[in-house]
Amino acid sequence: MSSNVPSSSSGGAGSADSGAPRRNSKRPKYSKFTQQELPACKPILTPRWVISAFMLVSIVFIPIGVASLFASRDVVEIVYRYETDCIPESLRSDKVGYIQSPRDKSCNKILTVPKHMKQPIYVYYQLDNFYQNHRRYVKSRNDEQLRRPGQVNETTDCDPEDSTNGMPIVPCGLIAWSLFNDTYSFSRNNQQLTVNKKGISWKSDREHKFGKNVFPSNFQNGTLIGGAKLNQSIPLSEQEDLIVWMRTAALPTFRKLFGKIEMDLNANDSINVTLQNNYNTYSFNGKKKLVLSTTSWLGGKNDFLGIAYLTVGGLCFFLAMAFTVVYLVKPR
Amino acid sequence: MSGWERVRPSRSRLGLNFQRGENGTSSSRTVRLGRVQPQAPGHRTIYLNDREANQIVRFKGNSISTTKYNVLTFLPKGLFEQFRRVANLYFLMISILSTTPISPVHPITNVVPLSLVLFVSLVKEAFEDWKRFQNDMAINNSLIDVLQDQKWERVPWKKLQVGDIVKVKQDGFFPADLLFLASTNADGVCYIETANLDGETNLKIRKALERTWDYLAPEKASEFKGEVQCEQPNNSLYTFSGNLLFQKQTLPLTPNQILLRGCSLRNTEYIVGAVIFTGHESKVMMNAMNVPSKRSTLERKLDKLILALFGGLFIMCLIGAIGSGVFIDRKYYYLGLGESVENQFNPSNRFLVATLTMFTLITLYSTIIPISLYVSIEMIKFIQSTQFINKDLHMYHIETNTPALARTSNLNEELGQVEYIFSDKTGTLTRNLMEFFKCSIGGDVYGTGLTETEKGGAQRSGIKIEEAQKSANTAHEKGFNFDDARLMLGAWRNEPNPDSCKEFFRCLAICHTVLPEGDESPEKITYQAASPDEAALVTAAKNFGFFFYKRTPTMIYVRESHAEKMGKIQDVAYEILNVLEFNSTRKRQSVVCRYPDGRLVLYCKGADSVIYERLADVNNDLKKSTRQHLEQFGSAGLRTLCLAYRDLSSNIYESWNEKFIQAKSSLRDREKKLDEVAELIEKDLILIGCTAIEDKLQEGVPSCIETLSRAGIKIWMLTGDKMETAINIAYACNLINNNMKQFIISSETDEIREVENRVSRISYLACFYLSKLHALSKMQVKKELKKCLEEAQHYFHVVSGPKSALIIDGKCLMYALDPSLRGMLLNLSLNCSSVVCCRVSPLQKAQVTSLVKKGARKITLSIGDGANDVSMIQAAHCWHWNKWAGRNASRNGYASLSKKYPELYKEGIRNAFFKWRVVGIWAFFSFYQSLIFYHFVTTSSSKGQNSSGKMFGLWDVSTMAFTCVVVTVNLRLLMICNSITRWHYISVGGSILAWFIFIFIYSGVMTPYDRQENVFFVIYVLMSTFFFYLTLLLVPVVALLGDFIYQGVQRWLFPY
Repeated sequence: MSSNVPSSSSGGAGSADSGAPRRNSKRPKYSKFTQQELPACKPILTPRWVISAFMLVSIVFIPIGVASLFASRDVVEIVYRYETDCIPESLRSDKVGYIQSPRDKSCNKILTVPKHMKQPIYVYYQLDNFYQNHRRYVKSRNDEQLRRPGQVNETTDCDPEDSTNGMPIVPCGLIAWSLFNDTYSFSRNNQQLTVNKKGISWKSDREHKFGKNVFPSNFQNGTLIGGAKLNQSIPLSEQEDLIVWMRTAALPTFRKLFGKIEMDLNANDSINVTLQNNYNTYSFNGKKKLVLSTTSWLGGKNDFLGIAYLTVGGLCFFLAMAFTVVYLVKPR
Repeated sequence: MSGWERVRPSRSRLGLNFQRGENGTSSSRTVRLGRVQPQAPGHRTIYLNDREANQIVRFKGNSISTTKYNVLTFLPKGLFEQFRRVANLYFLMISILSTTPISPVHPITNVVPLSLVLFVSLVKEAFEDWKRFQNDMAINNSLIDVLQDQKWERVPWKKLQVGDIVKVKQDGFFPADLLFLASTNADGVCYIETANLDGETNLKIRKALERTWDYLAPEKASEFKGEVQCEQPNNSLYTFSGNLLFQKQTLPLTPNQILLRGCSLRNTEYIVGAVIFTGHESKVMMNAMNVPSKRSTLERKLDKLILALFGGLFIMCLIGAIGSGVFIDRKYYYLGLGESVENQFNPSNRFLVATLTMFTLITLYSTIIPISLYVSIEMIKFIQSTQFINKDLHMYHIETNTPALARTSNLNEELGQVEYIFSDKTGTLTRNLMEFFKCSIGGDVYGTGLTETEKGGAQRSGIKIEEAQKSANTAHEKGFNFDDARLMLGAWRNEPNPDSCKEFFRCLAICHTVLPEGDESPEKITYQAASPDEAALVTAAKNFGFFFYKRTPTMIYVRESHAEKMGKIQDVAYEILNVLEFNSTRKRQSVVCRYPDGRLVLYCKGADSVIYERLADVNNDLKKSTRQHLEQFGSAGLRTLCLAYRDLSSNIYESWNEKFIQAKSSLRDREKKLDEVAELIEKDLILIGCTAIEDKLQEGVPSCIETLSRAGIKIWMLTGDKMETAINIAYACNLINNNMKQFIISSETDEIREVENRVSRISYLACFYLSKLHALSKMQVKKELKKCLEEAQHYFHVVSGPKSALIIDGKCLMYALDPSLRGMLLNLSLNCSSVVCCRVSPLQKAQVTSLVKKGARKITLSIGDGANDVSMIQAAHCWHWNKWAGRNASRNGYASLSKKYPELYKEGIRNAFFKWRVVGIWAFFSFYQSLIFYHFVTTSSSKGQNSSGKMFGLWDVSTMAFTCVVVTVNLRLLMICNSITRWHYISVGGSILAWFIFIFIYSGVMTPYDRQENVFFVIYVLMSTFFFYLTLLLVPVVALLGDFIYQGVQRWLFPY
């Protein structure tokens, strides 16, 4: 064959490996990346792989589930729904009228402790059908004003609770305006149980979001009163009820911390609760509940995590078994 | 369409523009080839060498521009292009929405990414257009000699005007479509290479009108005054009609006098020509289709997907909006819904509330469509093409030192989904290297050796072939690969038919239009031929001892060895009396020559069909055996030609010659008359034998094609070659085999030819009849198509019936591409596993390609190497524009890519990885996952979350949920990867880590003015609880459990 006809044996893919690099060669440099030859694992879901993955999940999850469930079961919780109970039966036809009237709205209830409750016992109020997550509501605050003393006039976003009679409201906005104002006091055997209201808010809120030198002013001075009033001589950073309230809840049913009872309660103790039923949830048919609860390392009484862990772990175990059986009966 | 009709009566500039404007739509009509080209009566008149006279008409200048934008149009047009992308338009809308007060997010969150995306895309566009602009400039500014004041002045191409006289030197490109006036060669001929036009590398001969031969020197040329009346610019490369009014005579002009822009001059010192069509009006430019912005199927599917997503988004938002309209109520006094409340929350007008909330929600949820989608896809593709394709060692061709080169990154993903390959033949499938391989003389076959087709076939059937030992005296050179000692070095004298051999060799040496070049020695001479076949035949004659070394207009000189006696070498001069040239209808070529001893012989070579028709009724045994050999050669993939001769008596010749001269000098229908005259003498031929030429295939083509077809890829060969050649090549590269049912639709059938002849006789009188011809021919083609289709359907009903192949030629294709027949053609061709289209023009290539692309909605790939393939390539989805030998490399790459798992590849074709079903499954699982996220996180966070009994707020819960989403999504990505390299781990791990780093910083710093401090410290609060870790473990596992079970079961039960 003459030289200008390429011979059929050379050339082609095979020669790429052996070809000595020539001068000025445009031959691409070899790298594992460009040749797509990086070491790789191929996650092909082979039966063995699937089964062992399921087994692993069940082995990890079932113990966690059991632990969580035990933690949750340890928690003692007393829930008392009072929004109807606390209205005298004769006035229940016009609940809104009742709550808006200026009369004394206290009511009493005796709660029985079902099990020994170790201190601290947390007192919560739980509201229902209250949309703290509504866009208009969530936005209606001004963090600048809350934090910095000189920013009293900073009431952007606070409409319609931004000013009253031309004076800026501190704290402005709908959230603060609608501050929860039911109060609870507890006594056992005629002995007052102190409710500690210190330290019920997150420290970061207290220290960074609410100023030490910011004091309420013109608050709840308008024609419409939304909720609790604030003591004008206490700085916002110490108004822990407000701080708790203003950490808006994610869902329309939410709990917020009211205080702590730093005393053990024994089983079958009778607790006398005196409620000041001031807050209007009757307009929108919201429930109100009083909750007394202990905590575990995992928090309050919530079986969900434990059950979820157990379910998933169990399901995976079942699947692992099922796949194993199928694999043994009918291997691929 | 109507543009043509309207143009006809008008000869103004206006009419010209009209036609150009309409060109895009009327392309199916204007691409009439051959004699069916309708002659537009509207013509242009060009005054040669007279700029002032031409100025009135204002022909277009010779500068060209292929850019998409200019400085002014760049921004509007470029932005328009960008906003043609649904996603960009969508984000523009969102950005506008987000500047209004109803938006829950700051406009910056939408405007910045959009601007970034647009900016990057525009920069890319600008860069590409700049390169095009520079390229145009380079062309426009290249210099050419123009006649000015009796001198040749060098001016840039763009200054050239219609009517100018130019000089083009050897190897120079023609700056515009020229009328060929004079050449330095004798006989006013010049040789041109049309590789840029049709990809054929062999030289073509153009001949100037005899009257203009003298105008070569500048002084003489400046005296030239003439007027050309010719057709309006059109895109038909092979036709031209016009007259030269010169010295009060009207000389008809044919394509033979036209030098097209894009061709280059060869073997001629220089030529002088007059500019006829300039710039965008030149035929090659008229043939160029607009540069389409290629959008891949994936991209178009993404558009659809985005629309679907938008639909989903719309429904979501609608539900949300209605919900908010229903919800809003003054009873929620804590929302402060007084009388003066803003519209969006005004319970008095719930409809307005819903409407405004709708927009709010759209803005809020807009991220359901990722804005970075296109940008990331483009980046991925860029990396794919620059890093993976261009640097692929398997695609590197070592002999030419060429790596693969992906010219665009737009279409990478389509490569894996190609279902139809459109391939040019010459230079792509074959090397365009013809080699004399075998012959049959006087009933004996000569030549051993196996063709590639035979080797391939043998390999497939598992037979080992021992390569026959080459005999020592084998002469092998370019064009000659013949191995049989019986014919070499005069050995043929001992064969049974030495006289036949002698005639055979003489026929080879005399009957051709080849020009010898270089030294008159067998080693150094090179042959310039109109086709490589011819060169191969002459080379063969040389090797057999009949060395053709010199040609004058009337003589052919052959150095004959062993002709009279063993060992005797003598130079013989044959007088060439007439040359009956080859054309596609005649399919043969004849030469009448006179021997030195006065013997008059007609040598004829041509296709077997035409030669056999004209054989004298003698020696039928020879005919029979030769026909057998022909079939044998044909099935071996060789191109065959029959050789014959006829002894003429001088009176027969003289009387015929008179007629011939008459025909030759006739002005009307000259070709036709010549053909008729040729018929008179090309009869009673005596068969000598036949030749078999191998068109060398590119390396590995048959096996590659076989692999491809096993992978379910259908291959269409679109070639300008004649049908027989095309079929042979198709056989040779396994495109067609004998097991296939072949449907042949050819314009060479008697019916069509008859119709054509009948009409064409009168058609010269009135254009009207042309339409009739069309109609008739169309009917015929329709009939054929229908017949084939029925037959085909019959075949396809039979399960596992033979594969089928469709063979159609350009003329029929022209009719079949008519809208009314298109469907039928498509139907038929899609049922065939391979399709061969012969004698097709570049534009037809494009039409066929887009027919399949649009009609069948399949991914197409075009392979070609010449400019003639450009339109086809642009019409297709993707292409391999193989430069030089890079083609080998790419072929290798192809083979190695798909060789391993051809059947697996089918999966890719079925586009299984991007189907609506898959999309649906993804949507279902994402819905499931979102349910999990919401319920698990909210339910588990409804109580105090650590021993301090404090409660989580809105932002704690949402941060928790989002963290779960980030982790889950990234793990899901890891799950769908086919192979996981360390880069995957890095990117997935990095994404999760990046989120944590971000949230650590973002919730750790107080930035006074830009946001509410809702997220402040959130992550630290979260991370101080066990709840966080337990949820983070639980939620992703549960969310992915669904996918995992689905994938596991699918892999288990339905692996493929």
